[in-house]
Amino acid sequence: MAGFGQGVAVATMFLRGLRGGLDAGLDLPEAMARSAAELPRGVRDGVRAALRRLDGDYQEDEWGFDAEFVDAVEPLFDFLYDRWWRVDVTGVANVPAHGRALLAANHAGIMPWDATMMSMALMREHPLPRQPRFLVLNWAFDLPYVSVVIRKVGGVVASPHNAVRLLESDQLVAVFPEGVKGTGKDYSQRYRLQRFGRGGFVEIALRTGAPIVPVAVVGSEEIYPKLGEAPLLARAVGAPFFPLTPTFPWLGPLGAVPLPSKWRIEFCEPIETASLGPDAAADRALVLELSERVRETIQRKVLENVVERGPAFV
Amino acid sequence: MPGRRVLITGVGSPLGSALAQRLAADPSFDYVAGLDTRRPSRPLEGVDFIEADIRDPVIATLIPQAEVDTVMHNQIVRRVGPGMSSRSMHDINVIGSLQLLTACERSPSIEAIVIRGSAGIYGSEPHAPQFFDEEMARLYPLRSRFQRDVGEIENLFDTYARRHAGTVCTMLRYQPSIGPLVDTQITRYLSAPIVPTYLGFDPRMQFVHEDDALDALAATVRRPVRGAVNVAGPGSIGLTRMIRSAGRPSLPVPAPLFARVSDSMGRLGVPRLSDDFQRLLRYGRAVDTRRLVDEVGFTPGYSTPAAVDDYVRRRDGGRVPPSLAAVGI
Repeated sequence: MAGFGQGVAVATMFLRGLRGGLDAGLDLPEAMARSAAELPRGVRDGVRAALRRLDGDYQEDEWGFDAEFVDAVEPLFDFLYDRWWRVDVTGVANVPAHGRALLAANHAGIMPWDATMMSMALMREHPLPRQPRFLVLNWAFDLPYVSVVIRKVGGVVASPHNAVRLLESDQLVAVFPEGVKGTGKDYSQRYRLQRFGRGGFVEIALRTGAPIVPVAVVGSEEIYPKLGEAPLLARAVGAPFFPLTPTFPWLGPLGAVPLPSKWRIEFCEPIETASLGPDAAADRALVLELSERVRETIQRKVLENVVERGPAFV
Repeated sequence: MPGRRVLITGVGSPLGSALAQRLAADPSFDYVAGLDTRRPSRPLEGVDFIEADIRDPVIATLIPQAEVDTVMHNQIVRRVGPGMSSRSMHDINVIGSLQLLTACERSPSIEAIVIRGSAGIYGSEPHAPQFFDEEMARLYPLRSRFQRDVGEIENLFDTYARRHAGTVCTMLRYQPSIGPLVDTQITRYLSAPIVPTYLGFDPRMQFVHEDDALDALAATVRRPVRGAVNVAGPGSIGLTRMIRSAGRPSLPVPAPLFARVSDSMGRLGVPRLSDDFQRLLRYGRAVDTRRLVDEVGFTPGYSTPAAVDDYVRRRDGGRVPPSLAAVGI
């Protein structure tokens, strides 16, 4: 995204230089070399990196996470973090600096903006920065381009198998236990946490002995104020629901631009699970109790932060 | 301890020939028989060649006569070959496996059966776990003809394993092979002058290197384990990165038009892509290989990215003798 605009600017500069060289009577290869040499160093590095990537010379891990891509789009995320949403972060030290951990947060909307802002918070504020992986609503992986970008920035299909595998390799994993019920929340329901399914995320934490860190995200539930749904359209495109917001779909792709609400992210005290042992995952009552405890914690912290933040769009 | 006696089906295939030769050279194997209708392209020293059609009930008398303790079933056809109808592919796969298992039932000497099956059973699905383990075979409906073949073979095989508790039955679920010599859909696809891709999709792909494909077969024949085992190079690779490092230009096609466009590109040298392969190009598939390492005791020498790199390097390096390439081991 950010690379694209940069690319256009570079191409223009390069062509202008090339034109000048040709006008001065140089032959084509020489003019190209001269024009390339005149590009400022940063731009030249960018071009070189882009060419290298076109040769397939880049690394993605086995999940498709692409660190170079994340670096390339960071300016955009920086802008969103600093200017657009003005994110305030507290309790970042509650996230373990190494080893496995499961972050559980509230969620609204299809796009995983809250997940990306959580990673930004950890990358920028944590003493030992870590890039979390996050589970994304399955439906996003049917979409062209969206699926590619989500994978590159660390999203994976919301499957318990994926979560377990990531935790077993000592990763930091973010989940949104409200699931599709949270995704399709109405604007009037914002910051009211939905039921946490069957507590699958607690089972995963127990099985892998990963501590659960409840995370309260405030601001993310106002960026796409969903006022209604168009069920017929949803069926036509095969989506679980089709949101109607003041801007979407009326403004086309522009309607997908999130609103600039003020954000707060609080990482709460971790709930330790390792001492319960992996067999505890089969204990229904314990799973539901822990799940409810996490839900209550997030709900309480969300409301506290809503009050502390004040008006949403100022 | 007496040496092992093994029978290999599909011995006329490059992989079957190579396995037969390796086992025949191994002193712990007393007897190696190979069954096929096609003669191996070069004579196999120390291998008893049985010329028979696996679909023919006569194998029910031939196989017990060989008095083997292990049967390695290596005749599952992955794509419709030249001069083969999709019907005869189905017959070789399903009826062939049925006849083979019937023959095994009549052979009291049999202790182990190893089948080189396919990870195609898992399918290629947008919502699938990133890495399928052996317990996840029936998460999704079987969509293509080949998948249904594999499903049927697995059913026959499971039934056999249940009824004959004394026989160790291993179902190897192979990901597609890649390498400088092997001839598979993926190597054909990457050899096309321009490769069609799905617009806006970059699936995670996984392959097994041709050397590991052979080594894994040999390792499993030496040490069969019960149940299914995935065979693949660990890790995965993005299709885009793979096509770029193979130096192929790609043609992104919107999903609804993909089948029509790729079929009409036959004249440009694009191979016909099977239904499974088309889904693979859209959604990808990867498997977990811990069972292969922990239980069979075989660690693949190439991860998936390394296998692709090796393919690209050696194919471009031109170190491949043309006669071997034509055989396509």
